[in-house]
Amino acid sequence: MYEEPYRWVEAVGNRRQYLDEQFKQGSPVVALTYDGGILLTTVSKGTPKLYEIYDRLALGGMGHPTDLEKLRFSLLEMAHVEGFNRSPSDVTGSRLVKYGIAPVIKQAFEEVYKAPFIVRILVAELGQKPEKDALLTINYDGTFEETTGRAVLAATQTVQAKMVAYLKEQQPAALSLEQALDLSLRAWAIGSLAHQQDEADQQAEAKPLASSAGSSAAAIPSRDVLIAHVRGLVGERMIECAVLERQAPGTSKYRPLKQADLVRLLPTALHSVVAH
Amino acid sequence: MGMPGDFFQLLKEQGYTLGAPTAVGTGHALTNATTILAFKYRDGVLVAGDRRATAGNMVMYDRTDKVLEIDRHSVMAIAGVPATAYEMVRVLEHSFKYYRRTQLQELSFDGKLRAVSKLLKDNVPAALAGTGAVVPVFVGYDLEQGSAKIYFYDILGAEFEGVEYAVSGSGSPTIRGILHYLNTWGEQPLSALSEEQAMVQALRLLTSAAEFDSATGGVNREASLYPVIKLISVAGVQTVPDATLKPLYESQVVRYV
Repeated sequence: MYEEPYRWVEAVGNRRQYLDEQFKQGSPVVALTYDGGILLTTVSKGTPKLYEIYDRLALGGMGHPTDLEKLRFSLLEMAHVEGFNRSPSDVTGSRLVKYGIAPVIKQAFEEVYKAPFIVRILVAELGQKPEKDALLTINYDGTFEETTGRAVLAATQTVQAKMVAYLKEQQPAALSLEQALDLSLRAWAIGSLAHQQDEADQQAEAKPLASSAGSSAAAIPSRDVLIAHVRGLVGERMIECAVLERQAPGTSKYRPLKQADLVRLLPTALHSVVAH
Repeated sequence: MGMPGDFFQLLKEQGYTLGAPTAVGTGHALTNATTILAFKYRDGVLVAGDRRATAGNMVMYDRTDKVLEIDRHSVMAIAGVPATAYEMVRVLEHSFKYYRRTQLQELSFDGKLRAVSKLLKDNVPAALAGTGAVVPVFVGYDLEQGSAKIYFYDILGAEFEGVEYAVSGSGSPTIRGILHYLNTWGEQPLSALSEEQAMVQALRLLTSAAEFDSATGGVNREASLYPVIKLISVAGVQTVPDATLKPLYESQVVRYV
């Protein structure tokens, strides 16, 4: 039935709709460079979403845990075999993404009679020098983007753009880890609030009587509102953070932030929710 | 399909073999000329190795590093054919990292020991042929048990725990006796030595080994060449810089007779 080109295009379109739907409940992921490396932040529900891939590579993901796990394993396998056969410095995020998993994700997406990967992936790479730091994001259809400074994963392109705009606007020249964590959590809240807003808007559309549209174009919430939003959610969820630290001893630069680190680094308004 | 998180299995699936295939007894014996030693002191374990690499009676290189860090808490000191030994260290390094990153937990200390044994077992044909024998000393800090441990191996992969100390290489017979003597009748057992005392003993032991074994390089002050000494404690592996060894050597090792 997919032999006809039109049918195929239609099927891929349906698939996009289906996949977009899957990310609505997902938690955004924020990657931000700071003066000592790269910080990854998310607020996860149960399964962790941040992982170590190689000496200088970290992974953040949104979507189905099993799909994420599958792709995480292929990244690990490729990275370690390459690092062993050639050298650790030949293992780069851009090679793993462009020639490794992006084609696999694209193929799964376009084979409409098979299941696609329900994932959005972020690969952070700590360069030998700060200007070599790279952040790569891959969408569920295999399209990837490489940026520097900041990158996010969120349910829709619009929300992503909103978060990136916020990060750009609020980011001074260089951030300390503490400042970066504070800003990342606020950007996360922007994303999370936007997800909630999208859902509310959709429900409003379904019920035309409640004509309170236009609220989606509201001004950017203040710092306190954003932190309060995170605070409100942390009871049932967990702040998950990891860093790639340029000055870390040894070859592995990845370090998940433990509770003790978080208590030290988090904005005071959030201390009470972590230290229990 | 191997166990999950097994990097060596993954390599094998891709057609990798450790060492060149050899027929038994076809090679000629290559010396395992070197001296490496490890002993427990107050805060953990000290591992040391001289820096000379030889081929027959030729000195090939005087700056070899035979005490290799595998991860934050384990070190392998190698005696034997360097090509195979370095390759083993590379495999182990990647195996431990791969296990940690895939399984999201550190490989247990016993698991690490098994990994070393397995590599040595796979290397038996090359070892018997004489082209790939490796006799390592594996040292690490077992974080679960909170104690430092020393293990030494034969070329077939059998593992033995060195309760107080272990030695390997051509210079080892000389210092094995000294270690036994020091530990049994010395002023204090090795395990009571402070960090500085332990470093002094290590320098003296390697100097003694170099005295009687031509294949062991001692200290070469003119070239500022000191042995590699690493300390493993709960905090991880720490390499002692030459700047620390130099004054210790000059004040407590050199004797003008």
